[in-house]
Amino acid sequence: MKILIAEDETLIRLDLRAILQRHGFTVCAEARDGVEAIELARSTEPDAALLDVRMPNLDGIEAARRIYAERPLPIVMLTAFRDRATVDKAVAAGVFGYLLKPFREGDVAPALYAAVARHGELLAARRRLGTEQPKRIDLDLPSPSGHAWPVRIERAEDGSLDVRVVQQ
Amino acid sequence: MRVLIAEDETLIRLDLKGMLERAGLEVCAEARDGVEAVELAGSESPDIAVLDVKMPRLDGIEAARRILDQRPIPIVIVSAFTERSLVRRAADAGVYGYLAKPFREEDLMPAIATAGARFAQLSAVREQADSLAEALAARKAIERAKGLLMENQRLSEQDAFVRLRRASQTSGRPMRVIAEAIIETLS
Repeated sequence: MKILIAEDETLIRLDLRAILQRHGFTVCAEARDGVEAIELARSTEPDAALLDVRMPNLDGIEAARRIYAERPLPIVMLTAFRDRATVDKAVAAGVFGYLLKPFREGDVAPALYAAVARHGELLAARRRLGTEQPKRIDLDLPSPSGHAWPVRIERAEDGSLDVRVVQQ
Repeated sequence: MRVLIAEDETLIRLDLKGMLERAGLEVCAEARDGVEAVELAGSESPDIAVLDVKMPRLDGIEAARRILDQRPIPIVIVSAFTERSLVRRAADAGVYGYLAKPFREEDLMPAIATAGARFAQLSAVREQADSLAEALAARKAIERAKGLLMENQRLSEQDAFVRLRRASQTSGRPMRVIAEAIIETLS
């Protein structure tokens, strides 16, 4: 499994890399800030990402949001911020795990395995919906014969599909 | 949010309960082993579960699997054991988080917050996919029934559709049910 790590402190980054390698992961990219993280996520196509929150240029939560928007992948945050507001911001950005620094080696691999498994389920469910990346389009399906069809499928603002029966 | 906890060691269980309550969660059920956890998940309908792994009678990972078979909820595992085989079993069973014991109080809340949010997201997408599948199946059945009515009753497409809709309205049954009944009768 290929992991991208983003961490501005060199010692922690080296430590993380060693831990991941010990647990059988491949570290495919090491970013030192949020902008690098986005670029490396694009060029190395990792299976999962482990991001620090406070980094130069672009913070990890905003990087997570942009990485996920480009190509959905499970993201785990690794940060010293334990306040509810930061956790909530990360949760809203779509992260699958949130580990606190100083982190314990025993938490890293389990968080990644759980994140990858659950994110896989989310992607599978989205595939069933036919919308792996939500787009804003109207899906007002006509019947094959051209007559108005009583079931209307509309795309809501947030990209979700709303299905309802139209009463005529 | 109502939490089920499962932990065989009384002191750790009390400790865990205290942490969750201080974080503003309600501990609605306390199990001392995996079998109790499965039973309490059924009877108490918790919103989330925090399960130890090594417990008498049934381990926490197998308990998680059975709880998820009954009714999906977000589950976080807490365990002193983090070897890969165990972690992978837990991930395969469907857990959202896995914390190494002993953990700090502040480790728990982010794990629960991410588990709850991602679970809710997955549930919403699955529900949409189900209703979309249902709508498409309904559409297929109604098209077929309409065709059969046109053929057998020599109706125009519009009239066939009106018949179907009227039958649905007067019977109070969904169009799909009416359509399937017509297919059953006429084909």
